[in-house]
Amino acid sequence: MITGGENLVSFPPSFSNDSKKLLVCTGSTISVFSTTTGLLITELEGHTSLVTSIVVVPVETAAVRVACFCWTASLDGTIRYWDFSTSELVKTIEINHPIYSMVIPNVASSLFGSKSGKQSKLHAFISVECFSKHTYQHEGLQGQIHICDLTHSRLVGGILTETQKPESIILSPSNEYLGIVNKRRIHIWSIPQREMNFNSIKMIKLHHTKTFKSLAFHPTERIIAGGDVTGRILVWRVFGSKTFFGKKRISEGKHDDDADSSPSTWHWHSSQVNFLAFSSDGTYLYSGAKEGVIVVWQLENGIKNFKPRFGSPLLYFSESVDLSTCYVSCADNQIHVLKMPQMEITKTIAGIKLPFSCPEINDLSSTGFAFDRSSGLIALRAENYYVQFFSLFNNLELFQLQVIQRNYQPVDDVTIIIHILALSSDGSVMGTVHTTLPEEDVGGSTTLKFWSRVSSAEKGYNLSTVIHEPHREAGISAVVFHPNNDIAVSTSHGGDFKVWVHSTSKQKQFVQKYGWRCQSIGSYKKKPLSAAAFSTDGSVLAIAAETVVTLWDPLTNVLISIIGDTSARITELCFVGSSGYVLTTCQGSEPKLTLWSLSNLSIHWSYKFAVESVSCIEDGSFFAVLILIPKSIKPNKNFQDGFILLFDVHQPVPNATWSVKKANGGRISFIQDRESEGGQGQSPMLAFINAHHEYIIFDPFNNRKCLISRKTLETNSSLEKSDFGYASIYGELPEFDLKKDKIPAISYMSSERPWETIFSGSSHQLPSMTKLCTSFFESLLEKRPSVSLE
Amino acid sequence: MGERTKFFSVSLTQGPKPRSRRSTATRESRYWRSFKNSQLSSNLFSAVSSLEFSPVSPNDLAATVSTSLLLFSGFESLSPKPFSPISNFSDVAYSPSYRYDGALVAAGGQSGLIQIFDPINKRPVLRRLRAHTRPVRVVRYPKISDKAHLFSAGDDAVFNYWDTAAESIVSSFPAAHKDYIRAGAACPVSPEVFATGSYDHSVKLWDIRANECGGSVAEFNHGSPVESIMFLPSGGMIATAGGNSVKIWDVYGGCRLIHSMDSHNKTVTSLCNGKILNKNSDLSVESRIFSVSIDGYLKVFDYSTFKVTHSTKYPSMLLSVAASPNGFAWVVGSANGVIYSAKKKEGKDKDEMEIDSNSGKSISLFSIPSEVKTNTVLKPSSHRYFTRGQGEKPSEDDYMVKISPKVKLAEHDVLLKKFRHKESLVSALNGKHPDKIMAVMQELVLRKKLIRCVENLEEEELGQLLGFFPRYATVLNYSRFLIGLAKKVLQIRSEDIKKSDKLKPHVKNLKRVISEEIKIQNSLQEIQGMISPLLRLAGK
Repeated sequence: MITGGENLVSFPPSFSNDSKKLLVCTGSTISVFSTTTGLLITELEGHTSLVTSIVVVPVETAAVRVACFCWTASLDGTIRYWDFSTSELVKTIEINHPIYSMVIPNVASSLFGSKSGKQSKLHAFISVECFSKHTYQHEGLQGQIHICDLTHSRLVGGILTETQKPESIILSPSNEYLGIVNKRRIHIWSIPQREMNFNSIKMIKLHHTKTFKSLAFHPTERIIAGGDVTGRILVWRVFGSKTFFGKKRISEGKHDDDADSSPSTWHWHSSQVNFLAFSSDGTYLYSGAKEGVIVVWQLENGIKNFKPRFGSPLLYFSESVDLSTCYVSCADNQIHVLKMPQMEITKTIAGIKLPFSCPEINDLSSTGFAFDRSSGLIALRAENYYVQFFSLFNNLELFQLQVIQRNYQPVDDVTIIIHILALSSDGSVMGTVHTTLPEEDVGGSTTLKFWSRVSSAEKGYNLSTVIHEPHREAGISAVVFHPNNDIAVSTSHGGDFKVWVHSTSKQKQFVQKYGWRCQSIGSYKKKPLSAAAFSTDGSVLAIAAETVVTLWDPLTNVLISIIGDTSARITELCFVGSSGYVLTTCQGSEPKLTLWSLSNLSIHWSYKFAVESVSCIEDGSFFAVLILIPKSIKPNKNFQDGFILLFDVHQPVPNATWSVKKANGGRISFIQDRESEGGQGQSPMLAFINAHHEYIIFDPFNNRKCLISRKTLETNSSLEKSDFGYASIYGELPEFDLKKDKIPAISYMSSERPWETIFSGSSHQLPSMTKLCTSFFESLLEKRPSVSLE
Repeated sequence: MGERTKFFSVSLTQGPKPRSRRSTATRESRYWRSFKNSQLSSNLFSAVSSLEFSPVSPNDLAATVSTSLLLFSGFESLSPKPFSPISNFSDVAYSPSYRYDGALVAAGGQSGLIQIFDPINKRPVLRRLRAHTRPVRVVRYPKISDKAHLFSAGDDAVFNYWDTAAESIVSSFPAAHKDYIRAGAACPVSPEVFATGSYDHSVKLWDIRANECGGSVAEFNHGSPVESIMFLPSGGMIATAGGNSVKIWDVYGGCRLIHSMDSHNKTVTSLCNGKILNKNSDLSVESRIFSVSIDGYLKVFDYSTFKVTHSTKYPSMLLSVAASPNGFAWVVGSANGVIYSAKKKEGKDKDEMEIDSNSGKSISLFSIPSEVKTNTVLKPSSHRYFTRGQGEKPSEDDYMVKISPKVKLAEHDVLLKKFRHKESLVSALNGKHPDKIMAVMQELVLRKKLIRCVENLEEEELGQLLGFFPRYATVLNYSRFLIGLAKKVLQIRSEDIKKSDKLKPHVKNLKRVISEEIKIQNSLQEIQGMISPLLRLAGK
């Protein structure tokens, strides 16, 4: 069983101390990625729910840089302490409330303080969601901030504050302040430096007319920056003089604001500010929002620089400890590692593309997935007109392909939709259909593109043919490929289908022209066609025309026969292996799964299921369906809303069932693991990808669990050695040769009377006194003729 | 991976791209197209019956037009010589021929008289050869090593071999052909061998040395009246023109037909031998057959691959063609007295000049003494002082800092990048590039900003937009988009259009174009209706 497709950008990741590793919250595990190779090194498994925050224990000296400890908090209500170099769990603290955010002030000093016995108390500030009956429950306040004594594993003190929902806590780099955003206010607490006393924690509030979304503390000075939903950034220069330091303020504000001056406001972003971060020397402020642009503000004067074209909304940003690298998390499930002063992308940790909302085009079914069964690949559409090829077995992005040559603006409305992706059975040809939406009936078009793989060894596809408006005004409902030949079929809602062939004309003297051209056009009673499928040997083409299935010979374009009536429009169509059965599914008010026998052209059996997806084994009589539990039945506690059923065509009783979560919008497919050791004899695996693009691969014919494990690449462990700190900026220092720096010893002759020669030479190059003495005294001694005269 | 996405400028996504013209042009076609065309005025309006270049530098040109022989200086301008035209002819002059050393030129005439002139200096007629009784259309000097003889043939079907110094016939072959002899050529490798072509469809090879056996050594049939004949430079092959075809014969292989080129639509009138100066290798000078025809086309035929590599259309019927032996020019003569010349542009390519000097046939104009480079110390008074070192090549151990090339964007792209949509549209409309305008409009639709842009257009800018519609609304690639947009624009801005007198004509224009298009579509549908039953019948 393989799982994968985690969301890498749901919570902010964290750098390790040597900034060679990046700890990323991936579901209920913590994945440790290498920043130099961008590959997964190890995973910390133990939490049972989403991991929300990671605090890496910083180290002071280079000697202990190898120490890799971190605290993690999760929605399962535990805080765990890990050694992530060996991926061992060291300690678990139960809190019993889902933790949304955790910060630990002075985490480094307390680590080594524990040895000396002083300052041994380590406190964590956690933001939890409180479900329990509470007096404030009726106000809808569910987020609470607690203090947790990590050394004694218990909550101390009371509740710092309550918010409507759990907010993420920001710790100032100087470990002095703590802040959260709470609607139109920023709450700041000062942390007592010596003794953690709940009553000595003071709080101030900063007010604004808009809802805050992000917050950042200046590393050295008392400056705080907050970003709001409208894209404004507010910077308070000095705050908390009165409350924290007891000083008198010069001017009284309207509110109980404890800022010495009104904030300066910067406005560039057009939507809510997702992150704010000060550079570690405090000169710059980084901000990012939906535009996909990192804005670098000079704190002194507000002059801004831009790092544009990340192509996706930016979510989180942080600098590493040694300032050489930083990461930025993008909403398209990518974490870019940037080399710092230049802000160039050095590596990208790319997860599976996340689902995105796109406007529904009338009666156009959107299939944003395509499985390459032979190699275990999945092709997914991304919002920025890319198609991502993702290896399911390795949980790794292979490559991306830009389908539409246009600049993607994350802020714009979606007006171009890739609504069909289709791969041929060997993955050598890809078909994409994209539709541009009209603006008040002006413009708008449908384009079909055929892509051919560069070569089987390399990755990447080349654009082969572009067909504009393949079915006139009508939208395309499906594109399928012939299993053996270079034939494709596209069906349209306008009532016709077209057979496309790949022509390779190698005429003499002419440049070779490869391209797809239309071979024949067919239609059945002008009915809108909704689905198509080739039989396994490619001899029969089945096309669904509203409620009937029409069978065609794809080569001669002759209608062979028609199979009977379903109650509703057919949405999916599929041949069950070579068994001579056709499977149709209907959706809508009367969902139905029907199995038709080709031998007598009648219904074999049927079910009243709302089928989301079907997949058939290529050779054999098995097929799997993903069905949704009807809404009339209450979902069970685990939020499981779907089932995968495995059928044999010969009996209408499922062979096996599995219940799954988030089935609505999911897909299943049988895939063959070609690279595995078993080779041809292995039975195909079943892959299920859910609406959140998390997937699982399992063997449907074998109930044993964990039959196959994810193949981790061997290259992971061999980390590239990279410079950091001084060396990363100035390069390696030349090797100091201590001997070379010494004054070269003056050679002198040991004559019988050395004092005549030892002082010859320039005065500043006199030999050292010890050398002089020994030679002088040596000369005084009577010398024995030691060398034999031979 | 790891790269920020690159910037795409807007481009038209709809419709097939027009085929670029350049893709059809071969390398050789580009070479011939690089010649600069001009006209030589002859001040006469009758046909240019024949053209010939002098075989020696500077390659003077002789042309017979009406009753005169024109001489043009071979220096680059092809200007008429001071004593030209020579009009010693009582009737129409034909077939000028230079002696191989270029010192004499002979020409025949309608009266049957052959005259020999000095083409370099103005002198009276040197010799008059009288024997033919009918017009002499063929007068040819041998191509090599014989200064004393020439041959002639005429409409009286007699073939004469002359001793020019003595003005006497060495040998005469009466009834050499059964019809007018209109074509003849001398062999480039032997001074005694000639070929003649006649209207009796036959081509005969003559060897003067074989006098006793009737002179004719070979005979073959072209298949139509022979208008022109030409030896290929090797001397082993003959090209003949007659009817619509040019045929190539292998003389050594028993006068075998090798290839027939039938790309002309009307009678081929003249042939000549042209040269390609190869820039890369000066040794291999490829040669081509130039053929001209009544249909007005000049075709360049590569006889090594049997392919027409270039063709040029001239506005009138062509009767004669000649190519300069140095390959720098060709001329064609038309039926209305105009001589079209094409000259190689004075390339700045040093290579070409070097080829010329190497081959020894240089046109005097091109000989430029090569510059002697001197290592002078630069002084701050010169411009080069300030730019010194910029062309320096890096040494191997230098660290190279790469400068990313600056992307040049069109104005409308820059404006789109800044989200200034209306300005971008106006800028594209000013550019008058329909593809660009369409691309910008489509991009605006994708951004859902086009309608607002239209609403905000000033009157003048709206006029530009409305002016764009009638011209391109019926173009196949644009019509779907533009007709929808035009409708929308008229709806939104109807008030403004009613008020303004400037905008009304545009709308009227659009209306006219649309009604025309509807008419066309209707008639096309009628035709389709007529054809489709036929097709259905044919299908059965």
